Amino acid sequence: MTPIITTRFVNLFYNEFQALKNINMAIMPNTVTALIGPSGCGKSSYLRLFNRMNDLIDGVSITGDIMVDGEMIYSKGIDIVALRRKVGMVFQKPNPFPKTIFENIAYGLRVNGVTDKKRIEEKVEFSLQQAALWEEVKDKLKKSAFELSGGQQQRLCIARALAIEPSIILMDEPASALDPISTAKIEELIYELKRNYTIVIVTHNMQQAGRVSDYTAFFYLGELIEFGDTKEIFTHPKDKKTQNYITGRFG
Amino acid sequence: MKFSINSVKKKELKQWLAFNVFRALSVLVVCILILILSFITYHGIKVISWEFLTSMPEDGMTKGGIFPAIVGTLCLVTGSMIFAVPIGILSAIYINEYTKASFFKRFVKLMTNNLAGIPSIVFGLFGMTLFVKTLGFGDSILAGSLTLGLLTLPVVIRTTEEALKSVENSFRHGSYALGATKLQTIRKVVLPMAFPNIITGIILSIGRVSGETAPILFTVAAYFLPKLPTGISDQVMALPYHLYVISTSGTNIEESRPMAYGTALVLIGIVLIVNITANALRKYFSKKVKMN
Amino acid sequence: MTHLDEELLQLKKEIIEMWKLVGLQLHKTQVALITFDKDLAREVMATEKRVNAMELKVDRDCENIFALFNPVAVDLRFVLAVLKINSNLERIGDIAEGLARFILIVENPFDDYLLEVTRTILMYEEANSILEDVLNAFENEDTKLARGVFKRDEYLDEINIQCNTVLVEYIKNNPDKTEQGLYILSAIRKLERVGDQCKNIAEEIIFYIEAKVLKHRGNITK
Repeated sequence: MTPIITTRFVNLFYNEFQALKNINMAIMPNTVTALIGPSGCGKSSYLRLFNRMNDLIDGVSITGDIMVDGEMIYSKGIDIVALRRKVGMVFQKPNPFPKTIFENIAYGLRVNGVTDKKRIEEKVEFSLQQAALWEEVKDKLKKSAFELSGGQQQRLCIARALAIEPSIILMDEPASALDPISTAKIEELIYELKRNYTIVIVTHNMQQAGRVSDYTAFFYLGELIEFGDTKEIFTHPKDKKTQNYITGRFG
Repeated sequence: MKFSINSVKKKELKQWLAFNVFRALSVLVVCILILILSFITYHGIKVISWEFLTSMPEDGMTKGGIFPAIVGTLCLVTGSMIFAVPIGILSAIYINEYTKASFFKRFVKLMTNNLAGIPSIVFGLFGMTLFVKTLGFGDSILAGSLTLGLLTLPVVIRTTEEALKSVENSFRHGSYALGATKLQTIRKVVLPMAFPNIITGIILSIGRVSGETAPILFTVAAYFLPKLPTGISDQVMALPYHLYVISTSGTNIEESRPMAYGTALVLIGIVLIVNITANALRKYFSKKVKMN
Repeated sequence: MTHLDEELLQLKKEIIEMWKLVGLQLHKTQVALITFDKDLAREVMATEKRVNAMELKVDRDCENIFALFNPVAVDLRFVLAVLKINSNLERIGDIAEGLARFILIVENPFDDYLLEVTRTILMYEEANSILEDVLNAFENEDTKLARGVFKRDEYLDEINIQCNTVLVEYIKNNPDKTEQGLYILSAIRKLERVGDQCKNIAEEIIFYIEAKVLKHRGNITK
């Protein structure tokens, strides 16, 4: 199998500050890869490389090769809009638009040029079903997305990302603002989704990384300390730092 | 013991004092407002009638109504908004959404702030020089509207900017992450969310424009003109200027005093209505934004 | 079905597979004993390696489930029970290997009369049947069946105890077959241990299903 995301010698700077140091990593298709590490270790910065979300921050500079689906995504002339269509993202805080549930999902389709009403309707239903939300919202599609609970809003955001048929989904601590029940639902959803998508998830919750991921990457101070099979990382970590972090003996 | 009863008492006393001082001050503010309003209402209500609102002034403005002044003010408000709103909103979008933190952005902001601080009479003089003389518009609705528009432009820019800023970045990022372009994001996500606050800003600036005297003094306002305007190059009467005229330089100040209070009441009434509308609209639109 | 459920089900399948293999091992030694089939005995010894590999696999899977899913309550008890059942099964596997080794060492076929008076075959069948009982109890979460194991084990104990007097008598009468007699004694001792392992397994099953600890409680059947 060839990796769907490859990074080679990636460095990322916020002005003078180096947030990522020589990161080499390969992410396989249809797997869940968890990025863990203490706050400020660079895991979120790394995640945001893949859909070029870092571009929105002033003073960011990047060196090294980042290849997504066979394309060097930081080369000149790359279509960022097309990239973001291929690489969806779910954020830490649920951020549905102040629109109806239906329009929230239709939005991604509309901005990508889908105008056929019937197709949009089908896609909305399909995405909501994929996100395991359809049964809960099918009777209130015309209601504001803000009327949903936090967990439902987050699943709506996942459905919104799924609607435009990405092949990769980036998740930046998708359950950190949710209660345990909603968290469990999101985790189950991630497990379901990996059949059809490649998922990269940043999480502060080690147990979550254990439960949902196939591969785990441990970042510390901008360096990739250890990357491998989640089972290996959680039972026999090779690096002392990884061991200290996952056993909660950090510092 | 660390906490003596005494110190607790002292704390409570302080708390009590502070609370009451704050309350007294806010009551004072309300009192002053009520005083002004009731004073003007008391003196002005006598002359208010349908006829007063809809007829021409007569007898050196001691009799008749203020109809042309009301129409004139409405013309000027409309004209200034046609000028200030699009330019203001577009510049605010440019400043807030397109420029990165840079010297240029700070400079533009500083300039808009300064513009807001310039006394309105200076705008009046500027408007006279530029629009009336140099561009040859003459004393006209066009010149007056442009001057008032310039005056209120910083207000529109500032309020729109604040409205845009209050839209959390997470919504923009959510939109970008779905492959939306910047323009799509602004049009379909940011502006609808900022809309209620933008509307409020516009309506507040309408309130301001309708009450300004100095900028129209040399650009449009007519001392006495008992007919309605027919085009944008006509002069008009305006409420604030009319008020100024009949209270200071009318033919018979004593006799036109009740008219002055009546005019003031109408002016305050307009501003009040505008403010109430602003609030209602904001509530309506913020509800609507959530629904869409 | 949640992700954890799937993992637990997978674990259950693995341990059941191992269970059946161990049962088969035991049964093969029985057949080898009756037919004096040294090849079959050799096969049992070779297959023991597979049992060991399976034990390691189950151990690792349990470890992974602990590390990755942090199971609690019934899930936790299930994984703990599987972990212990796993080592019990592995020991039964060892016992089967030991029994097979006897068959390889002994030169002449076992005396039918000896097997009969010591009730060795009966013991074999009983031990295998108990192992099957605990397997069914585990598979169907049947604590009643698991509890029955304690009673059935008493029968094995009885054969084991009685075997001493019977063997003394037999060896006196057949001094030339002393060696055979001693092997049979060891075999019966080993089969008695299979019963004990099954008892332990039954305790684990009850612990996992009912959250009751039966260990070290003295005579449970009363």
